[in-house]
Amino acid sequence: MDFDLLKRVLVAIESRGVKYAIFGAVALNLLGLARATEDLDIFVAPEEPNIERLKLALRDVFDDPEIDGIAARDLLGEYPAVQYNPPEGSFHIDILTRLGEAFSFADLEVERVPYHDVTVTAVTARTLYRMKKDTVRLKDRADAELLRERFGLEPD
Amino acid sequence: MPVRKFRSVEEMNQPTWRQPADPQLYRAIAFVWELALRTNPRRFPPGVHKYRSIDEMSRVQEQRAIEHARSLAAGRRGK
Repeated sequence: MDFDLLKRVLVAIESRGVKYAIFGAVALNLLGLARATEDLDIFVAPEEPNIERLKLALRDVFDDPEIDGIAARDLLGEYPAVQYNPPEGSFHIDILTRLGEAFSFADLEVERVPYHDVTVTAVTARTLYRMKKDTVRLKDRADAELLRERFGLEPD
Repeated sequence: MPVRKFRSVEEMNQPTWRQPADPQLYRAIAFVWELALRTNPRRFPPGVHKYRSIDEMSRVQEQRAIEHARSLAAGRRGK
């Protein structure tokens, strides 16, 4: 992932007033653990105007007609997980409106955190821990354990 | 960079947490990401891809990662 390109994406998302929350590996980085990653995971509020704002934000950064393929009817309907891979190709943006039955946007505990000189919205350490602890991927469960130790979280 | 001493390999391998807003955190993030780009360059298929669940999306990503690793390994064997 390119640090400055991600900053441009986040500045655009903030400027367009998108209701969102970063989770996944970028959130882990924001909490203080530098970790390689190839994607930006964002939860977005499941509202059509919000999806349109997100598309505008992406168009601010990427001159890519493919962005029109991000459709509110998908994210609010049968496809709650949409991946956008920009033309430059070295990273992707995973956009979610639901995470199984366990999490919806309204359920997330979020906080405003710095990403260098930008302030962004990310899930809290506790929410990130809850998201990672029961997944099948060993890496996620290891991350959950690191979060539990670092932030003194109690296992559910 | 100063010399750091450890009492065991386990201690050496502990993750280094930094405080949010600490400039060292963002230097470390930029360094790690740049290193990953240089040592393990990936090319994701451009465009928009839709999935019925995060599990389905994760399965596709894992499969792509496996194919990428195989391709890298084959490339190294071919050198």
